[in-house]
Amino acid sequence: MKAMKLKIAVGALLAVLALVATVRVAVYMVGKHEYKEPERIAAGSADATPRQQGLTDEQAAKEKKDAAKPYVEAEYRAFPKIGSRVAIWIVAQLHLLFAAFVLAVPIFALIIEFIGYVTKDKRYDKLAYEFTKLLSVSFSLTATFGAALTFMLIILYPKFTNYMMSVFSPTFLPYVGLFFFEAFFLYTYYYGWGKFSPRIHLLLGLGLNVVGTGIMLIANAWLTFMTSPAGVSEKGAVINLWSAIHNYTWMPINIHRIIANVAFGGSVAGAYAAVKFLQATTDEERAHYDWMGYIGNFVAISAFLPLPFAGYWLAKEIYAFSQTLGLTMMGGAFSWLFIIQAVLIGNLFLGANYYLWLGMGRVPGAGQFQKYIKYLLIVVTLCFMVWATPRSIIATVSEVRAMGGAAHPALGFLGVMSAKNTAVNILILTTFMSFLLYRRTGKTPTVSWAKTGNAVQVGIFAVAAAIVISLGILGYFVEAKVRIGLSVPQVSSVLLAMITITAIDIPLYAKAAMSGEVRWGKIPPISQYVLIFIAVTFTWLMGLMGYVRSGLRQHWHVYGVVRDTSVDAFTPTLGFATKVVSVTVILFFLLIGFVFWLSSLHDKDDWEAEAKP
Amino acid sequence: MTFRVPLLVKLGALVVATTGFYTYVGQMVPQKEVYPPKETLIKADISTAEMVTIGKEIFEGKGLCTTCHTIGKAPPLRFPDLAGVAARAKTREPGMTDVDYFAQTMYEPDAFIVPGFNPGMPTINKPPIALTDQEILCVMAFLQSLGGTPSVTLQTSHKYIGPGAGVAASAAGGGAPSPATQAQPPAGAVAAPPGVPPDTPSKEPAK
Repeated sequence: MKAMKLKIAVGALLAVLALVATVRVAVYMVGKHEYKEPERIAAGSADATPRQQGLTDEQAAKEKKDAAKPYVEAEYRAFPKIGSRVAIWIVAQLHLLFAAFVLAVPIFALIIEFIGYVTKDKRYDKLAYEFTKLLSVSFSLTATFGAALTFMLIILYPKFTNYMMSVFSPTFLPYVGLFFFEAFFLYTYYYGWGKFSPRIHLLLGLGLNVVGTGIMLIANAWLTFMTSPAGVSEKGAVINLWSAIHNYTWMPINIHRIIANVAFGGSVAGAYAAVKFLQATTDEERAHYDWMGYIGNFVAISAFLPLPFAGYWLAKEIYAFSQTLGLTMMGGAFSWLFIIQAVLIGNLFLGANYYLWLGMGRVPGAGQFQKYIKYLLIVVTLCFMVWATPRSIIATVSEVRAMGGAAHPALGFLGVMSAKNTAVNILILTTFMSFLLYRRTGKTPTVSWAKTGNAVQVGIFAVAAAIVISLGILGYFVEAKVRIGLSVPQVSSVLLAMITITAIDIPLYAKAAMSGEVRWGKIPPISQYVLIFIAVTFTWLMGLMGYVRSGLRQHWHVYGVVRDTSVDAFTPTLGFATKVVSVTVILFFLLIGFVFWLSSLHDKDDWEAEAKP
Repeated sequence: MTFRVPLLVKLGALVVATTGFYTYVGQMVPQKEVYPPKETLIKADISTAEMVTIGKEIFEGKGLCTTCHTIGKAPPLRFPDLAGVAARAKTREPGMTDVDYFAQTMYEPDAFIVPGFNPGMPTINKPPIALTDQEILCVMAFLQSLGGTPSVTLQTSHKYIGPGAGVAASAAGGGAPSPATQAQPPAGAVAAPPGVPPDTPSKEPAK
């Protein structure tokens, strides 16, 4: 059966290749053998110089010209076909995606290993090892793309690269040193699994995380300097290296990236588990990979929930550095990008909630909570719709006239920040509620204060939602300078609600009575495709936000200091940018598929020659 | 015989379909390429009326003024609406002429904030906007035309530039060039080497 499928697949591939080859050969043959008029030089214009003399003169003239050729430092060089900007864009994004994965996995692998060490539960140790297995090949790919990016910058943007080197040269050797230590810790952590005492091994994991974070901090200094330069003179000369490193957006990007990396790494690890689940042939395998996928998704969503808050901080610092830059981001060329972002984040929330709801079926007695799902779905969908509503609508002239402007008379009110901030905060609260319901499935609290605890939790939810909605409405009636400040209490109330509700929930369900064990592996296969969908969406989101972070500078290499005078010194359309992001995402998944495949070889039986009869 | 789609094909289709959907969403939003601001040639002998025309071009283009300011729109966008600003500028700050007031708003924008608005106007003669002194004079002429009679010329002096500085700079071809003007510099237009840090310094403060 398998051989038959293989034959069909290979046959189809060969047929396509044969067709392409035939067409190419035909085009070549027609072009080569087509009759063409011979080119003849008019008799009157023929050069009378003897051929040999002419060749000698030509050679001498060329040598003379070569000898006098001055050295001109190249400012830019062109990359064939796709251009330098797109080439750098793709390589840098692939480097960042793999680097994010390599930095993120050790964070949660170490935490899971630590949980296993404390609880003495070997399952956690095995799970942490399984996550770590994905690291070694990914690390090599990160380094490969990093080297490619460095060489391409030197080749394609020599003058700009030279400037960056003049500012940051003292950071390069520490970076290389840390990279060496990263390799040391990573391979010792991976190959030393079970070979050292648990404490030593945990220390190796800690070292890996510390060094990895150090590498990220240095690289972040370079790229944030390009957006919000500091520590240089008006002419670009270095005055203070630390100021150049510790520029306006450095720390917000550091925090934002750590959180986003964990969310992204968790989702990709979840996708790996999903693939393994779908390939599993036994219930035991399915149970293991279902659990692994759940943990990966849990890590991703836990990190994803506070991510918008880190994003607020980053945006605030961008505005603090330069209002012009901030307005370009939110009100100028990039404003529509955030509608695309809303679609992505809305899909992530929908996917994450759907996965949790499907997961409730693993536990007997889930019906108690499943009746609430339809209400949660309604809230998530409404918030998604509000968030994705643009302020101004693409419309024909007659439609604009009918509306009395580019903003729709009713829906236009949902396109402003007051509505969007409210929607995203309610979205976060709803997803958190989904998670709490999932956590409670099949459990009955046994503590004496269970009813009070529940009531207090519901009260906190209600108060937080009321604060968020009230401030959102208030935003329509106050001037801009007050409205901007309202997002802080909105965010704070949601964060506080999540913290206090969790603090109550842990003791509330600590000794809960179980209606049955969690039946890992008993989840519909569609849930695994949801995990992969979440991973692809996260990756795409990272690509899109990487674009806005970099594209924000528009026609500047270093904003306000080094101007981009290349042929690419313009901001492309969002449509073009999304195509590049998609190509990058597909390339990343081809490569990460290779990583998954290599990791799965570890579990395969060794090859043995078939015994001859 | 039932043919089941191989898992690899299903996974590939899911990845391609998801990225395809987001690419499609990307095509649905307005598509606009944003080019570096165009340079406007300012000759030393231009009239005030010509300065108003040039000032309007700069106001809507290189100066990026319309990102935050509106003309004749209520409520205003982010910063004050500029309809009738010529009249208000004469009385906005005691002892200050409209020219001095306009100059202050562009060279030293945080010196005075219109009540009800947040500070945030960038220094206009510094990067990233980096208008030249004569370009700023043209913008002033345009602002004077909004509810008033323009009087600014390239000879006009104010707190930030001395008498005739605008003419001298224009005659010498001062200002920052676009890549296009570098390739084929017109007579009297700006000339500065490409790709080097601009002559005008960065306005952004050190943290």
